[in-house]
Amino acid sequence: MSYETDDEKVEAIKAWWKENGVAIVMGIAIGLAAIVGWRSWGDYRDSVAGQGSTVFDQVLASAGTGQTDAVMAQARVLNDDFASTPYAALGALVEAKALYESGQPDAAMTALTRVIAAAPDPALARIAALRLARIQVAQGQLDEAAKTVAAHDTSPEFAGDFAAVRGDIAAARGDTAAAREAYEQAIAKESGFSQVIRLKLDNLPAAG
Amino acid sequence: MLQAIRERAQGWLAWVIVALISVPFALWGIQSYLGVGGEPFVAKVNGVEISDRDLSRRTQQARIELRERLGEAYDPALFEEGRLRAEILDDMIRQTLLLDTSNRIGMRVSDEEVRVQILSEPAFQRDGRFDRESYERLLQLQGLSPAQFEEQLRQQLLGNQLLRAVVGSELVTRQEFDDYQRLVGQTRDLSYALIPAGDFRSDAPIGEDEIRAFYEANAPRFQSPEMVKLDYLVLDVADLAKGAEIGDDELRRVYDDDQSRFGRAEQRSVRHLLLTVPQDADDAAAQAVEARVRAIRERILAGEAFAEVARAESQDPGSASEGGSLGTIEQGLMDPVFDTVAFNLPVGELSEPVRTRFGYHLIEVTEIIPPATKPFDEVKEELRAEVSRQRAESLFYDLGERLANVAYESPDSLEPAADELGLTLQQSDWIGREGGEGVLAHPRVMSAAFSDEVLVGRTNSDLIEPERDTLRAVVLRVADHRVAAIRPLDEVRDEIGEELRLTRAREAATQAGSSAAEKIRQGVSWSEAIPAAVVETPAAVGRDVQTVPAPIRELAFTLPVPVEGAASVGTTVLENGDVAVIQVTAVKDGEVTPSEGPSPTSEAAMLAQVLGRQVYDAMLDDIELRAKVERNPIKTTSDL
Repeated sequence: MSYETDDEKVEAIKAWWKENGVAIVMGIAIGLAAIVGWRSWGDYRDSVAGQGSTVFDQVLASAGTGQTDAVMAQARVLNDDFASTPYAALGALVEAKALYESGQPDAAMTALTRVIAAAPDPALARIAALRLARIQVAQGQLDEAAKTVAAHDTSPEFAGDFAAVRGDIAAARGDTAAAREAYEQAIAKESGFSQVIRLKLDNLPAAG
Repeated sequence: MLQAIRERAQGWLAWVIVALISVPFALWGIQSYLGVGGEPFVAKVNGVEISDRDLSRRTQQARIELRERLGEAYDPALFEEGRLRAEILDDMIRQTLLLDTSNRIGMRVSDEEVRVQILSEPAFQRDGRFDRESYERLLQLQGLSPAQFEEQLRQQLLGNQLLRAVVGSELVTRQEFDDYQRLVGQTRDLSYALIPAGDFRSDAPIGEDEIRAFYEANAPRFQSPEMVKLDYLVLDVADLAKGAEIGDDELRRVYDDDQSRFGRAEQRSVRHLLLTVPQDADDAAAQAVEARVRAIRERILAGEAFAEVARAESQDPGSASEGGSLGTIEQGLMDPVFDTVAFNLPVGELSEPVRTRFGYHLIEVTEIIPPATKPFDEVKEELRAEVSRQRAESLFYDLGERLANVAYESPDSLEPAADELGLTLQQSDWIGREGGEGVLAHPRVMSAAFSDEVLVGRTNSDLIEPERDTLRAVVLRVADHRVAAIRPLDEVRDEIGEELRLTRAREAATQAGSSAAEKIRQGVSWSEAIPAAVVETPAAVGRDVQTVPAPIRELAFTLPVPVEGAASVGTTVLENGDVAVIQVTAVKDGEVTPSEGPSPTSEAAMLAQVLGRQVYDAMLDDIELRAKVERNPIKTTSDL
């Protein structure tokens, strides 16, 4: 296309704008709205997480001073109002300890089950499963413990820790050979407590 | 065209154009936010880069900390650059991962939390309250803006939160703790007997073949390092000081020459009255002031008290309220003109007006404290030590120079130097590169001894001063040299024979021990199994009882718990080669302290802490396993 005069050009631009102007303005407006919306959504989430964080710090503080009731109340707030944040699971993790130590192993196990279900990272689920299995062993629920271990022993980094629990289960069942094997595995994989496991291993009765 | 643009520049079209142009400006520089491009990085953790610069800075910091903590013991060679860097990089990667994970799973630290932390930090407080000025000053010292610092603090708090969540929630079950107490406190009853290796020693000759085979198989053990025998001369300032005799008259001369050190100069108590003359005053103004001073002088001479007048009239703000008193002064403290007058005036006489750059003074001396001196006898010994040290030092430098010269001029022997300087020529035994005794222990001396000129060229060394702060110097030469070599078989034959006999004896003892253990396992009595042995039967041996040798204790606690029909027996070798046969006869578990209330004991809490810490580490490893960590080869920069 060629234009004879400036006026013609201006006319052409005007015509083009008439045709597309609304679309362009709308496009820019939608784009800006999306950016603003995304930003404020992010800000909102940050602010919710920040509040959850503050409540969680209170849970830690209450747990540190042994106020089980306060821990439970605050953990419930996290569970009810901050389920979208990782603090619901972390709160339950801390709550489980407080419950167990105040003589409520069943409630503690429920809390740990909740952590496993809501864990924001697989490692946290494994940590909770490990603790759940250990409480189950202490409560004499050996089959449940074995199931918990089997379901969550999926990472090489926690293999030693789970092997140690398997050893405890086998020892409780009186299966010396299996306990020996599991303990040896736990030591080889550098479980958290290899010195204590060494003691347990040495203490197993002679085979035969 | 331009005309048309100008006409329409007011209209809506102009706004559209401005809006369109503003878009690229708004997005300009966005890559600096997105972190595209930029500095070289050493690792990338889930897309987060760790820059080479940060790593170098942290490494440098770690080095400084190490140096401060270890002080003298710090040896840069111990902390090889590459290894330290690699360790710190690992650390940074984990830290980055931790933060990345915390962020990814949605953990946040609220502004409120950051604020509380800053407000409660004692370093930012003054008089127990937060002080903005101290806060900003401290940040400035660290080269951080408040925004940067707050971001750092936020990350720190965030990283800590996951740690506290995991470690703080670790528990130890009642059963686990009881088991632990039973095991740790466990005691065992033992029977054991020793089979001395010496009983199996035979003096029978050992075959040449065997010795040769051993010699060939263990060649590195018979390696003797490169060694030298040294001739050397030591010049030591301590010896020189001992030899010097210094007469009293010489000390007296030093004493007389340096009076100022032993005494105090004359002091005078002075008071004055000042009328100031401004810097830019002309002569007439100065004369007017002088006239006023003279008038005041007349008043004092007429009987008015100096102090009262000074208080009323003096324009020296420091002294006026003190009645003009300047306290006691020494020469050299005041304006020279003032000094001259003040130190020539008799006590109690009022001076003429004195002009200094301040104005006109009237000066009066109220007291003269004469100079005082410590008596010679009191400082004589101190002086003697000092003079003899100085003498020795200058002698040391003098002799050192001559020693270096003579040793250089006759490089084939140290005797001329020893003769000329009256030093004793000393000779060392064979020593290797690691050094010998005394002055020869010093690395600088040994590296000279093994240097090319000295070792290959067989010349005298330069004058070596091994320690910077000690006046001690050494010249040495190699008297004899032995290269690294494998010692000949003839030289080590007996050594090998002895060793082989010992090994055989030990093997035989172990053999005897095993068969005795087997017999006891079968139910044979100790006296039958090991006829010559004395059987020890310590009861209730704990894990750390010192009366039972450590290897025996160790085995006793790793042997299985005895059960009906299976004796628990084993053998172990003691440090001296003797063999011990051990039987565990009974096991008694440690006492379990009954639970007191719901809260765990401090020992259980400690166990939980240890366990929690290790689970936390496992968690980080687990996260790292799943993360995308990319390392650039480490470039070692020598920043020392």
